[in-house]
Amino acid sequence: MAQAMEQSKPSTLEMERSSGGVKFKMPVDSDHKATEFWLFSFAKPHMRAFHLSWFSFFCCFVSSFAAPPLLPLIRDNLSLTATDIGNAGVASVSGAVFARLAMGTACDLVGPRLASATLILLTTPAVYCSAIINSATGFLLVRFFTGFSLASFVSTQFWMSSMFSAPKVGRANGFAGGWGNLGGGATQLIMPLVYELIKKIGSTHFIAWRIAFFIPGVMQTGSAIALLLFGQDMPDGNYKQLHKSGDKHKDNFASVFKHAVINYRGWITALTYGYCFGVELTIDNIIAQYFYDRFSVNISKAGTIAASFGLANIISRPGGGFLSDYLSDKFGMRGRLWGLWIIQTLGGVFCLALGRTNSLAGSIVVLLLFSFFCQAACGLTFGVVPFISRRSLGLISGMTGGGGNVGAVLTQLIFFHGSKYSTEDGIFYMGIMIIACTLPVILIHFPQWGGMFGGPMPGRTAEDYYQSEWSHHEQQKGYDAASMRFAENSVKEGGPRATGSSHSKHTVPVDTSPGNV
Amino acid sequence: MAGLRLSKITIALLLLIVCHVGPSMAALFNQLPKTLIVTATTKSGDVLHAGEDKFTVTWALNTSLPSGADANYKTVKVLLCYAPISQHDRKWRKSNNDLKKDKTCQFTVVKQDYSATGKHEYTVARDIPTASYFVRAYALDASGTQVAFGQTTDANKKTNIFDVVGITGRTTGVFVSAIVFSALSGVALAFFYVVENKKKK
Repeated sequence: MAQAMEQSKPSTLEMERSSGGVKFKMPVDSDHKATEFWLFSFAKPHMRAFHLSWFSFFCCFVSSFAAPPLLPLIRDNLSLTATDIGNAGVASVSGAVFARLAMGTACDLVGPRLASATLILLTTPAVYCSAIINSATGFLLVRFFTGFSLASFVSTQFWMSSMFSAPKVGRANGFAGGWGNLGGGATQLIMPLVYELIKKIGSTHFIAWRIAFFIPGVMQTGSAIALLLFGQDMPDGNYKQLHKSGDKHKDNFASVFKHAVINYRGWITALTYGYCFGVELTIDNIIAQYFYDRFSVNISKAGTIAASFGLANIISRPGGGFLSDYLSDKFGMRGRLWGLWIIQTLGGVFCLALGRTNSLAGSIVVLLLFSFFCQAACGLTFGVVPFISRRSLGLISGMTGGGGNVGAVLTQLIFFHGSKYSTEDGIFYMGIMIIACTLPVILIHFPQWGGMFGGPMPGRTAEDYYQSEWSHHEQQKGYDAASMRFAENSVKEGGPRATGSSHSKHTVPVDTSPGNV
Repeated sequence: MAGLRLSKITIALLLLIVCHVGPSMAALFNQLPKTLIVTATTKSGDVLHAGEDKFTVTWALNTSLPSGADANYKTVKVLLCYAPISQHDRKWRKSNNDLKKDKTCQFTVVKQDYSATGKHEYTVARDIPTASYFVRAYALDASGTQVAFGQTTDANKKTNIFDVVGITGRTTGVFVSAIVFSALSGVALAFFYVVENKKKK
């Protein structure tokens, strides 16, 4: 309905689109962030940023999880033990713990385009060198360094949060994150396929798997170069030029760091993300072998089943983003929080069910249900994260993202390392841990919007909340301008009551006076 | 009435099919008689290279057995089997008494029709991974189920264990390509940084 209203007022649309003298293909808000999300468009700069972002992240996922489907070959070529494999699995997700934090800061300081392209190009040598490893140590090292590339997740979320306005940021983050995570599933199909092809051309198996690793390597290099050539940090330009022209104040690390760590909400999302995304990483590492060993299916079948978990991301994570945006539309931020808690808890329920399902068919069904809820929860998390801080958006995204990897490290160390638990028991206990570690969502409360239990505090506004991240001195200098625009554009997070009867998705003042009076 | 008769026939047919085509009784290793004497030209501690070295394996029916003991032996299958040290912490090579689930012996040396004695010269295949091995021969009946065995090592699989060194797969081409591609990624990054800084000026 709001759409119809807007389309019948071409003059205001023109005004919004050409605000600041720059013409955008898409409708934008006062911050020049897109207020629409056109999935199949490459409109510059918003949708183009989206496609560059998700695809480069997808390539990082393909590389990071390229080894698991080929393990039956690699473990014989390198004479690996189960402990070696477990250690490498842990290593593959632990590098990104700190890399994600560093990435968050880098985004805040130099912008997502340079930050992610640098990371991706610096980690591709690890992918190429996977082809020449000769020992368990080598295997561990390449998986460790390749895993650093998963930090590019933070730049996708940061970039989407810079390009898309509040009502669409959930789905933008959801699609970017989800279609990136897709790589973890796609690789389980791609790698065995490439391997078989190379063998057919005439290679021996122990050579073929090595050559296969060049595919993810080249994909990764190519996507980083595309980022550098075609990407742009913000709707108005790149950080370097915006800093120069004075349009964007170059922030300092100490303040960004301080305002991230003192915000308890970032720590909570860091913990809970460990039990949706962290669990997803863990499953990517163990599920093919689980089906192979427990149900005696062959390598291709195990790979296909494993792939289905990761491939569900194509709709499940964006679905979470959509749900978050929808709940916000109906109930504001409180809706986003309730949605997150319910969906993630249900993910935990299906996880423990998976550990207790004894038939192959049943396990596949439960696995798919589990994947939907687990990945949707990831989408819902990043429907909340963009609102936790504006000044330290990058670092908060980094903390949350890093927390995801910490969850993966912990879960694999506790339940999927050595022979203490059978894999099915490990999965069962992991489900219980998911339910327990999702409870802290109950504690998240925004003074201006409320929390799961407890409404907003009277008289508190979004402006107050985001302004409190800047000192008086900084406010006087106008450094908080971006935060104030963000606060304005987040009015809808207060729920239907906050926006009153207004259903306009744009908060730029609209000329409603009839023209012919 | 006709419907009931039809379903009875269907059930009978199904039972017939299941009883014939259903899974044969799994052979259990600890119930297999060790009636074959198997020897190989490899000695304890020998190191063989995959794709290059050879050894000869010989098997013979234990002559002290009553005649007719090998009545149902139709095929002999000789396999390369992992020694316990190579099975340690590797559940994909685990021994299982149920031979359908057993993963000890994963490589076939030779499979041929049964005769009371036999001999085969085997070049270690290129796909044999680096590990410690012994040789085992199974006698199979007409349905392909194991009915007897023999092996080059003792019951604890400690004696006569030899090693195979598998191919690494690390060809020069792969090695050089990996270095070159890695260097190119670094160069690409440096190039873009230089261009960015030039633009800034």
